[in-house]
Amino acid sequence: MARRYDSRTTTFSPEGRLFQVEYALESVNHAGTCIGLHTENGILLASEKKIMSKLLEQSSTPEKLWKIDQHIVAAIAGLNADAMILINFARVIAGRYRARYGTLIPVENLVQELSDHKQGYTQFGGLRPYGVAFLFAGCDGRNGFQLYHSEPSGNYSAWKAAAIGASHQAARSMLKTDFTEGLSIDEAKSVACKVLQKTMDCVNLTSDKVEMFYLTRNKDTGEVFTQTLSL
Amino acid sequence: MDVVFGFVGYDFAVLVADRAATQQIIVQKLDEDKIVELDSTKIMALSGPKGDCVAFGEYLRANVRLYRLKYGHELDVSATAHYARNELAEALRSGPYQVNCLLAGFDKLKNEPELHFMDYLATCHRVNTGGHGYGGMFCLSLFDKHWVPNMSRAQAMDLVDLCVGEVCERLVTAPTDYLVKIVDKNGCETIVYDATDRLKKRRDLMADVAARMASMN
Amino acid sequence: MNGPTLDFSFLDATARGSMASKHVDESLDAIDGNMHECNFKAPAVEDFEGFQREVINYVKPNHGTTTLAFIFEHGIVVAVDSRASQGPYISSQTVKKVIEINPFLLGTMAGGAADCQFWQRNLGIQCRLHELENGKRITVRAASKLLANTLYSYKGKGLSMGTMVAGWDLNGPGLYYVDSEGTRLKGQRFSVGSGSLFAYGVLDQGYKWDLTVEEACELGRRAIYHATFRDAFSGGTVSVYHVGANGWTKVTGDDVGELHFSYYPATPVDDVDAHCGGEGKKEAEARAATEASAMET
Repeated sequence: MARRYDSRTTTFSPEGRLFQVEYALESVNHAGTCIGLHTENGILLASEKKIMSKLLEQSSTPEKLWKIDQHIVAAIAGLNADAMILINFARVIAGRYRARYGTLIPVENLVQELSDHKQGYTQFGGLRPYGVAFLFAGCDGRNGFQLYHSEPSGNYSAWKAAAIGASHQAARSMLKTDFTEGLSIDEAKSVACKVLQKTMDCVNLTSDKVEMFYLTRNKDTGEVFTQTLSL
Repeated sequence: MDVVFGFVGYDFAVLVADRAATQQIIVQKLDEDKIVELDSTKIMALSGPKGDCVAFGEYLRANVRLYRLKYGHELDVSATAHYARNELAEALRSGPYQVNCLLAGFDKLKNEPELHFMDYLATCHRVNTGGHGYGGMFCLSLFDKHWVPNMSRAQAMDLVDLCVGEVCERLVTAPTDYLVKIVDKNGCETIVYDATDRLKKRRDLMADVAARMASMN
Repeated sequence: MNGPTLDFSFLDATARGSMASKHVDESLDAIDGNMHECNFKAPAVEDFEGFQREVINYVKPNHGTTTLAFIFEHGIVVAVDSRASQGPYISSQTVKKVIEINPFLLGTMAGGAADCQFWQRNLGIQCRLHELENGKRITVRAASKLLANTLYSYKGKGLSMGTMVAGWDLNGPGLYYVDSEGTRLKGQRFSVGSGSLFAYGVLDQGYKWDLTVEEACELGRRAIYHATFRDAFSGGTVSVYHVGANGWTKVTGDDVGELHFSYYPATPVDDVDAHCGGEGKKEAEARAATEASAMET
């Protein structure tokens, strides 16, 4: 039955579902887990680093956490190659906004434009949707620190704490119990580690298996910046 | 010859423009509004060929409003200035829009008034005081001497008085009718300014001086 | 079948050859021969582009004009002259300078006659399409904006127009000035053209809101007449239109020569009192009389 509705273009099935979009979501659910949570003065993003092989060169560049602009970082879950296209797209949007308006792009503007772009692939001309979900952490003058979750379908939503990737459901239910507002960075780190340890199902979490980004504000200048954290 | 100038006060910004629409030596109209209201907290005075002013003003206003519809919040004043400058710069190589403008607004996030000076060559400066054309040049020295930070509304209107008085006394073919628009966090207020009272004071003063000189002999 | 036959002989090659001047013959020879050689006569001037710029002013008629329109209590009066000039030459005394866009809209013509006629006809088309699409008449405000947008898009391309769009819509009377620079002004009183300064002089002094239709038409006529009197590029006849709630009507069309003599009837030059209406002679006589009586006493 499904064969008839998901072969070439994204078409509604008789039950009103878009199989291609659901399959894209499935590819996200097989990827390493990423979580994001608000802290008292910033946002922490943490993700699982999958080690494919011992023979692989250890790269110093991040695998799943990407900087979009001075004030926005993204965590990805899904097809890496697809994600690179969208990361680039997001950087172009942010840069274009800077050139046009002379200020940093408000976080939601970026998420909205990126989501509109993704939505196009669930509707037009025989292309497949992007198999990536994002967590965007950002900060602007209007809404302060913000954490957004963006899906292959083009939906996006703002969260206090969120998780994407494999076993995101388990991660979310853990966050529901362990997360409170106004965590210090150290508390937030321990919550993140606890969740990742559980979802990754490993005994001891080592720093080569985890990436962490912290988006925060300089107390004196108010300037927003990101830093990589280790365990 | 348009007369356009403006300055910032404590929690507001003022723009002044004359109301005459002229063609060569003919005044075609005396109730023209040269200050376009982009949204509730941003106003822009435009000087130059009428067609360009209207086209550029309407284009900017439409885009500022589109931005609010699309993203659910208003564009900052400085972002609007940057955007306007960008449009002027692009038009410079393919048009251009021959408009000089002053953008005044109140930034709700920073809680302060702003004034941006722009010309058709796409220079853009954030300033405390500014003017365009010959009328604006007469005001510059007055601003240097009389403008102070954090002015009250009464002080601001006195400064407008001084500027309009000077323009009327010294500028050839000076217009007599002006619009004063004051923008603050609550919106834009329009004051119809008639310079004839101001001119009468000036004439009375000169008549008085002449009478005293005559009595000296 | 011996009815009158039409003479088509002028279409024959020989006939054309016989009619054409030597000048044309040479150019035809050029066509027969090498096409790449210059096959038309270019003006023998050093600065060809400068010459073109100069000459365009002569072939673009109707630079001299007086038109006016104003809103008053009972609608709008539109008055225009009818002279067309090409440089110093009067090319027509019977130009129709009020363009009837539709039964509720009038446009006036100043600047390039062809530009005005073409673009106001184009405006008429756009207005009709608006009616068909929306089921109601277009407002004057919208119609004038359509024209202004068109002209603005051609700005710098050489159009030359100064027009007034006058009409009646749901909001009552509407009057806009639109020109080829892209200007569009809403107003109550406009005059356009080389004679506009003179027309303004009479119009501004005589204008009141509560004129009757007759008075308003007379004011418009009078203003145009005085403009034609002073402006060498305006003349011919004065056409006066009135726009009311039921659309426009043409009121009058008077030859300015006849108007002149009706306004200022010719009187014998030696009858100083009658000719001038001045009372200087009477005053001088009275003064002489009082002086004489003073001498007597």
